[in-house]
Amino acid sequence: MSDGMAIPQHALERLKGLRSEGHPGGIFTSDFSVNEFLLVRKAGFEPVGLCVGSCIYHLGIQYANWSQNQEMDVLSQAMYHARELAMSRMRAEAEGMGADGIVGVELTVKRMEWDDKILEFIAIGTGVVHAKGHPGFKSHGGKPFTSDLSGQDFWTLLQSGYRPLEMVMGSCVYHVAHQGMFKALGNIGNNTELTNFSQALYDAREIAMERMQHEAIAVKAEGVVGVDLHEGSHNWKPHIIEFFAVGTAVTPITTERDASTIPDPQLVLSVNN
Amino acid sequence: MSWFNRFKGTATPTGPAQQDFAGNAAERLKKWESALQHHHLPDFVKQRLADAGSGKLPWIATMTPAELAQTHRHRVRPIAMVSGTCWYHFGYSWTNGHTAGWHAALSRMQEEAVAAGANAIVDVRMRKIDLPTDASMDFTVIGTAIRIEGMPPSPEPVVATVTALEFMRLLEAGIVPSGIAIGAHYEWLQGWDNYYNSLDAKGGWVNQPLTRLGNFWEQVRKKALLQLRQDVHRQGNGALAHIHFGQLLKSEDDKNPSYLGRHIVIATVIDSERYRSVPHDIRHVVDMCDGPSPLNDVRPGSHNVYDTNQEEGSI
Repeated sequence: MSDGMAIPQHALERLKGLRSEGHPGGIFTSDFSVNEFLLVRKAGFEPVGLCVGSCIYHLGIQYANWSQNQEMDVLSQAMYHARELAMSRMRAEAEGMGADGIVGVELTVKRMEWDDKILEFIAIGTGVVHAKGHPGFKSHGGKPFTSDLSGQDFWTLLQSGYRPLEMVMGSCVYHVAHQGMFKALGNIGNNTELTNFSQALYDAREIAMERMQHEAIAVKAEGVVGVDLHEGSHNWKPHIIEFFAVGTAVTPITTERDASTIPDPQLVLSVNN
Repeated sequence: MSWFNRFKGTATPTGPAQQDFAGNAAERLKKWESALQHHHLPDFVKQRLADAGSGKLPWIATMTPAELAQTHRHRVRPIAMVSGTCWYHFGYSWTNGHTAGWHAALSRMQEEAVAAGANAIVDVRMRKIDLPTDASMDFTVIGTAIRIEGMPPSPEPVVATVTALEFMRLLEAGIVPSGIAIGAHYEWLQGWDNYYNSLDAKGGWVNQPLTRLGNFWEQVRKKALLQLRQDVHRQGNGALAHIHFGQLLKSEDDKNPSYLGRHIVIATVIDSERYRSVPHDIRHVVDMCDGPSPLNDVRPGSHNVYDTNQEEGSI
């Protein structure tokens, strides 16, 4: 920075090789990048520790009717239940370390080589506390908030007058019906919509979206930010897809911030190349 | 619990379940079917979107917090994620199928936006889902419907492929991203059996352009661009053509070979006043990132549709 910030005394001492007398807060762990760390601090929060929750889950068996569009409710539920377990274990870790919330949560699903019915679900994020001990950032019931927003996005969200409540998600595993031979023959040489398939995608997406919205209602959110819709298959038969909607439910901090006080971003042109 | 018992003969799920709005699966499917046939939305979707529009339901946005802040600054509200899908079977033409598929998906997404009482759809992404099916493809567009405070709902909300952040910048500069235009054309070249025949007297020993094949390929591209212009004309006065997909294929038959040239161009359509300058000041910065930087990095994963072709470098 060109505005000549002085280096604080404690930093200078540390550079000289002097360790301060015991850190009262102990050490922290996180998966932050340097910039993320700076911005979380700028937002008035301190990282306390990495929170991890995982769950190895056996998916039940469900057969789909070859020629029918249908939700694979056993699988939908498994995918949801397993993620929920991983998340709640992560949240328990955060509670254990007294965190106000978890930022930068990443949800991943891993396959196991030896069995295609077993999936590992991992939720990982960094627990943070408000530096001045402000109690108002916790989610409902004094539980830590969860959010998949990065440290940068977390700062920006608070700047825009919102705080995160909870990561909300909706899962729907769906079997897309195969086309019958008769129907397939009828389509030869025609450019036409396969309504049957369109319909399946619509239904599956709508179900995932509704479920996520329901979770947002349950935590009394004003809205859901940063929503992403993933389509994926986890070792399933080719016509089975999961639609997974995930985002962070948010609520205004106290009263909504007046729009005119939100700063205008500066346009910049990078001149490196 | 009712929706769990919809399918008999399979395992009964255990553990917590997610809540749904509309119950019966068979009924839902019937409603989807008739909705797709009659070009309207099923009542439960209409209701959900209307409720999101009136604030009864939480809004849902693909926006990042930065985008949320900027849209608020301009008194713009996100309403709901809207989408359109058309699974299209390519019978006589793959190329024309792309035009039809995208147009159908786009108009369906617009229908959802109308139901939400929107003025625009931003952050629109063109996607496809990989399912192994013969000669067909899924055309999907997803975006966030927004409303500008104090503006009545639009009968035909504009479709913007840019993010909310860029959308606001463009509006400030008097530019309205208004839609997506598609131009596609294919043609067969026959009777050009072997390229040796088309070479001049010196045969294969000298450098020379393959005029007939070259002209043919140029024609295909020109016609695709002409169609793009017509599609642009209906929506605005400018095009930023960002996707070019072209293929020149040779048929299997070696004795009587024919060549298929096909070209698809997709553009973001804008509506703007001519000769109007951009009001923003621009500051020069030196970006100190090593490797890909948010300043010069392209947003990953926005459109996944013609990706494979770009790897081949066929632009």
